[in-house]
This record gives sequence, C-alpha cells and structure tokens, in this order.
Amino acid sequence: MDNSAVSVAAPERTSLRTHLSRHSSLVTFISLALLLTILTHGAALSVDSVQNLVVAEAVRAFAALGVGMIIITRGIDLSIGSVVGLAASVAASFAQTADYSSALYPGHVFPLWLPILAGIATGALFGLLNGALVAYSRLPAFIATLGTMSIAHGCQLIYTHAASVGSLRPDYKVLAQGSWGPVPNLAIFAFIAALAVWMLLRFFRQGTYFYAIGGNEVAAKVSGINVNRQLILVYTYAGILYGIGGCLLAARIGLADALSGQGMELDAIAAVTVGGVSQSGGVGTVSGMMLGVLTLGIINYGMAYMGIDSYFQLLIKGMIILIAVYFDMRKYKRR
Amino acid sequence: MDDREYILEMTGVDKRFPGVVALDGVDFRVRPGEVHALMGENGAGKSTLMNCLFGIHQMDAGEVFLAGRKVKFLSAKDALMAGVSMIHQELSNVPKRSVQENLWLGQEPWVRYGPFKTLNKKKMRQKTLELMKELEIEINPDLLMEQLSISRQQICEIAKAVSYDARIVVMDEPTSSISEVEAEHLFRIIRGLKEKNVAVIYISHKMDEIFRIADQISVMRDGRMIGTYPAAGVDEEKLINLMVGRDMTHRFPPVESNPGEICLQVEHLTAANPRSFKDISFTLRKGEILGIGGLVGAQRTELVEAIFGLRTVASGTIAVHGKPVNIRSSGDAIAQGIGFITEDRRGSGIFPLLSIVTNTAMPSLGRFRRLFGVLNHRKIFEACRRINEAMRTKAPSLNTLIQNLSGGNQQKVLVARWLLTLPDILIMDEPTRGIDVGAKFEIYTIMADLVREGKSIIMVSSEMNELIAMANQVLVLCEGRHTGTLARGEATQESIMRLAAKFE
Repeated sequence: MDNSAVSVAAPERTSLRTHLSRHSSLVTFISLALLLTILTHGAALSVDSVQNLVVAEAVRAFAALGVGMIIITRGIDLSIGSVVGLAASVAASFAQTADYSSALYPGHVFPLWLPILAGIATGALFGLLNGALVAYSRLPAFIATLGTMSIAHGCQLIYTHAASVGSLRPDYKVLAQGSWGPVPNLAIFAFIAALAVWMLLRFFRQGTYFYAIGGNEVAAKVSGINVNRQLILVYTYAGILYGIGGCLLAARIGLADALSGQGMELDAIAAVTVGGVSQSGGVGTVSGMMLGVLTLGIINYGMAYMGIDSYFQLLIKGMIILIAVYFDMRKYKRR
Repeated sequence: MDDREYILEMTGVDKRFPGVVALDGVDFRVRPGEVHALMGENGAGKSTLMNCLFGIHQMDAGEVFLAGRKVKFLSAKDALMAGVSMIHQELSNVPKRSVQENLWLGQEPWVRYGPFKTLNKKKMRQKTLELMKELEIEINPDLLMEQLSISRQQICEIAKAVSYDARIVVMDEPTSSISEVEAEHLFRIIRGLKEKNVAVIYISHKMDEIFRIADQISVMRDGRMIGTYPAAGVDEEKLINLMVGRDMTHRFPPVESNPGEICLQVEHLTAANPRSFKDISFTLRKGEILGIGGLVGAQRTELVEAIFGLRTVASGTIAVHGKPVNIRSSGDAIAQGIGFITEDRRGSGIFPLLSIVTNTAMPSLGRFRRLFGVLNHRKIFEACRRINEAMRTKAPSLNTLIQNLSGGNQQKVLVARWLLTLPDILIMDEPTRGIDVGAKFEIYTIMADLVREGKSIIMVSSEMNELIAMANQVLVLCEGRHTGTLARGEATQESIMRLAAKFE
C-alpha cells in the first residue's frame, strides 16, 4: 500500500524476535504440538487423535468466541458455564425420544428445529440480561455475570428438577456426533462460528466499535458510538454462541445434567487469554482465540494421553496458562 | 557570574531507545537556590533527561553528581532519599485517602512499641499544619483527595514534593492544570524555596511563566543540549528560535475571516447539574472562531460537552442553521454537523491500541458501508490518507498505532477524525494543550484554513494569547455564568482576566 501520504520515517524493521512475539500464541501452540508429538512418538498426530481433540474442544470454541468478543470490549462473563448448561438442558428437553418414560414432556415429539431454537433463545435471553445489566445498571461485569451465573444454574435445576435429561433422539445426536467425511460436524460448526465472528470483527463497523469501546470507552462515546447498545449486543451475541454451544454439548454427550458446562467460563477465559485477548480490552483476534482453545485442548489431551495423574494435570495446566499469558502481556508493555 | 558549587551536574548523558537516540551527550548543571527552566519542544528529551536522573530510565552513558558526589539512583525512592523530589505533570495521588495521608504517603511518622509500630497521628497532624502554614495553603487536611478541585490537588502534590526537605525539586509542567490564582501561589512557594537555597528545575511550555520566575534557562532540541542562558539575557523570540531551531517570528498565522450567517444559536442554556453552567446564550456565525475563556472551574468544558450531547441540559434551546434541534447524544450532534475535539487527548480522544486509520475513521464508519453494511476498507484508507496528508500528520505509516505518535501528531489525527465527519461546526477544547510550539503553529494554521473555507470553530482555551490572536469573539465564563463577550480588539489579557475573575 502506498503510504506516501504520511511522511515516512525509518521503515519498520521486523526482527525474528518481533515476529515471534507478535505471533506468540501460534508459537506456543506449535511448540506444544511438537512436544506432544515427540513425547508420544507421533501417535498424537494420528487422524483419530486430532478428531478426538477437535470434538472435545468444539463447544469450548463457541464459549471462547463469545467471551472473546466481550473481553475485547473490556468486559467479562462468568455466566458462560451455567448458560451453556441451561441451554443444553432446555434443548435436550425438547429432543427426548417419545417412548422415554422419564422425559420432561413424555409422549411428545417436537420438530427437530425446536430444541435448537429453544437452546439458542435461552442463551440469547441470558446474554441480553447480562448486557442490559452491564450497560444500564453500571454494575461491574464481573459482579453482574456472577449473579446471572447463579440465576442460570438455578433455572436449570428448577427446570430439570435437578435430574439428568437423557435419551435424546438419534437424529438430534447426529448433529454433533456425525461427521462429513473425516471432518467431524462439530469442527464444521465451530469453524462457521469462528468465520462469522471474524467477519463481524473485520468487515462490519460494529466490530470496530467493540475494539473502540474496549480501548477507550469515553472516546468511543464522544465518537458518536451508542456504547450501551453495543454492550447489550455484544453480550447477546455471546449468549447466542453459548446457546449453540449448549445445544451441541447435549447432542454430543447424549444428555444434559447439572454438571453440563460447569467450569466452562474458566476454560474459555483462559483460552482466549492464552490466545492474546487482553484483559484490559481493545485487543484480540479470532485466530488468537481459536489457537488459545486448541492450545488448552492439546494440553488437556496430551496430558491425558500420556497418562499424567489428573491432579497434576490441573497444576501443569495452570502453570502453562500463567507462562503463556505473561509472555503475551509483555507485547503491550510500554517501552 | 556565580561561582557557587553546582548542586546537580549531569555530564555526557546518552540514552538510546530502539531506533531513537533520545539523549546525545547532554550536559546539565544546576546551582543551589536557582530556578532553572528546562525548555524544548515535546520529544526534545526533557522528560527523558529527568527520568534518567530519577533512575526511571537507566542511562547508556554519562554521570550524575549531586553536590560534587557521584550518585546513581536506581529508583525514584533513592532520589527522594538523596533530597531530589519531583512533581509530575499528571496527578499521582490516592483519590480515596485524605489530603494529610497523601502528603505523608511513604514517609509517615511512626511510633514504636517494641516490635510493633503504629502511625503517629499527632505528629502527622502537627507536621501537616506546619507545612501548610509555611506554604500558605488553606486546605482542610481531612478532606479526601478526590473532593478537591484538580487545581488544589496539584497544589497538594507541590506541597508533598516540598515536604521531603528536598535540595532539588523538579517540576514538570506544574501549571498545566491549575488556574492563574493557584499559579501565583505556586510562584510564591518557588520563591520561598529559592530563599531556602533549594534548586528548582522547572519544565514548562509557558513563556510568560518562565520569564517571571526563571534565573537560568537551558534549551534542549532533538536530544541535545543547545545551551544554558541567563533568563535576563534572552527574550521570548530568541528562546523559541533556539527551541525550534529555525526562525519563528510568528506564533500565530493571520486569520482571515468573514463571518457569514448564523449557524449555531444557543439560548439560555442551563445544565441539569445545578453546580454547572447557567443561562448561557451566544451565536456562532459561519466562518468564525468563537473563543471561550475562563479559569479552571468556569464550566467551559461542561458547556461544550452539553452542546455536543454528552451532558444533560435542564433548559434552554440550541438551533443549528436556524432550526431548533434536540441533541441528546453525541450521535445526534454528529448528525447535525458538529465535531468535538476533547481537552483530554488520552482520556477521551485517542484509541491508543488502534491504528491511525481506525482512529481517524471511527465516527465516520457509517459512511463507508457497502451492500449489507460491509465496510469498504479501501475507501476508508484512501479517505484517511487524504485527510491526514492535509493535516501533515507525521507517522511511519497509516497503520501505525496512534499511541506511538507524539502529542502534536495525535492531535492532528484527531482533527483529521472530525474533519472526515464533514462538520460545519468544530468544537475544540484546549486544542494545543501539551503540544510543542511547532505543532501549535500547525494547528492554528489548520484552524485558520478551516474558517476561510467557511467552517465555524468554538475554541475553549486557557491560553489567553491563543484566544486573543485566533478568536473573532471571546465568550468569558466565571463559575458557570456568562460574564461577558469580547470582540476581536477588545479582548486583552486584562479584559479577559477581569471577566474571568468577576465572582472570585
């Protein structure tokens, strides 16, 4: 591109070091993948293992995309796990087989679109609630979503009578369990969602507004951006993504229960942070978010594959997250 | 000349940052009991030099001597212990604690009870009262810091710097956020320090201040020390030439303007907040600059923010091009052809982590949508290139993050941002605050060009010279009330000051 417009100072030199730090999440991911491949003598690279990895991480990808956008606007969302769980239960309740005696709606057969729509609507509703709270009540997002986290989980327990919602129809389960050639359906759905978020952030002014709000909310307001409306929308978009995630989670497991989705907020927030989405707002890319999800996935999967004790898995995972984020943060440190 | 020993000597200071030589063999010497002004454009290296003194940056080469003894401070705390304190340009207090606690933060008097120690509140109070008496400060020490006006907070910072019994006090633009009354107070404090043989290093862009209080003036340019001159031996013009390195006989461009029809009419505007402005009326014509003057606390910023829809109004009307309008948000104001460059560039202007292009295009993005609302990035880049070219923004590329530009260039990008919205009326709140002499002239030139093209400008300013030289009429506020309007020619330092201090 011709930049003669602005008088050109010294051309920017990009050393190997700058390249490495600019793509640190990619570097982390590749080095971990290599390490795992070496440690397992190549077994980790088999088609089977990659499929397993992708299937295991796909739902988390939806959560990460949603919370990634929210963190770009300098918000946070702790309600992810509960909303995903609630959406999974609601979706599952409309997808139970007709002959299942303990179904929530025994004897009813609903059209296939209903569970999906209901799950997405549930997520969207909670997203809207989160957004409205953050935008209008002036509660810090941390507190507002801490509240809705509990509310969503409570709703789930009330709706399901704290029982597991199982015996799902095969044509529903195939959504998540099927595959297109060697590519699992879940991978395709996650890819489409990532593409959609990428396009939103890259090609629509709303994406730019999200970065602007996270970077300097006052300046965003002065620039004519309706900050409250954008905040409500970003939480709602995230809610829709959690809703889809919930539908797919129920389909993948074949049931939804009180444990569905629990703790997913921490996994998703850790993943996007590892992927370079800055907690101080205004920074982050979809490719980074997805790399973050895969990085955490490879850590989980790799350690399980190598038979590392699950208590140690937690410990090592935490350390890797801290190290990755520490190096990533140094990028934004002022000289 | 003076043959007293130097209290501070910095010799051969080099400091390099990646790609930039920030300081190049700088020598700087200060005698006790003198007010030594350190001047230079932004980026000349003044702050870097002081940061090297305080150990905030490590020097690549050079030595520092304090009263003849070689020293090397590793942190600001080392410097304080050695009797070198600094007042920073930006406030660095703890808003939720009291004035007294802030004053003694880090040097609290303790009482020991065996292995335990506790705060000696009595002694702290006594020392506070002594210090306040000495500096003639009348502030209740029990108020929370955030309850004070910015001006008075700055006075507290100054008191704090003095409280260390420092031998050298560095003041980095101490008057940038205080009113003239407080500035006078500061000058009295400085004179008191001089009598106590304390050396004051004074960094400021304000010429009149420098000539009032400085004994010696050192000028830096492009990381080099140009020279040290006795204040009595140089005048303003020479000083500017030394700083800029070229002849700058004119600080303001000529403003040709032929005011046309009325484009903005404000009548009886009163803020919803009862402590803010009341009953303000004025008219702005096409192709003129309306200046708004007043002291800190005159509610000038609040007034223009209300016109731009950022504050709620209790009563009054605004008419744009003769039509009454209801502006309830910044979006409404932009739709009415109003642009607003805020006074706080970092706080409410730039998006530090976004590029020049995105920073420029932000309020105008709606114009660059294609089918289905997809942004036309090529057109955006082209438009931003053209407008930043016209503003003479200096940057490595349009994709450079705005935080990596100098203050003057950031300001040019902000002007570019608002010109891209094609406004008829541009509100500029302190348009040249914190930018260097050369960049100021460029901003003034842009303003003169804009009014020649028929745009109208409302300029809020604390710099009287700026109001006098640039504005067709100056609206003066005092404590939220309109105390008078001065036409070009009537506006002088004295007449503005008289109206600005009417209720003081």
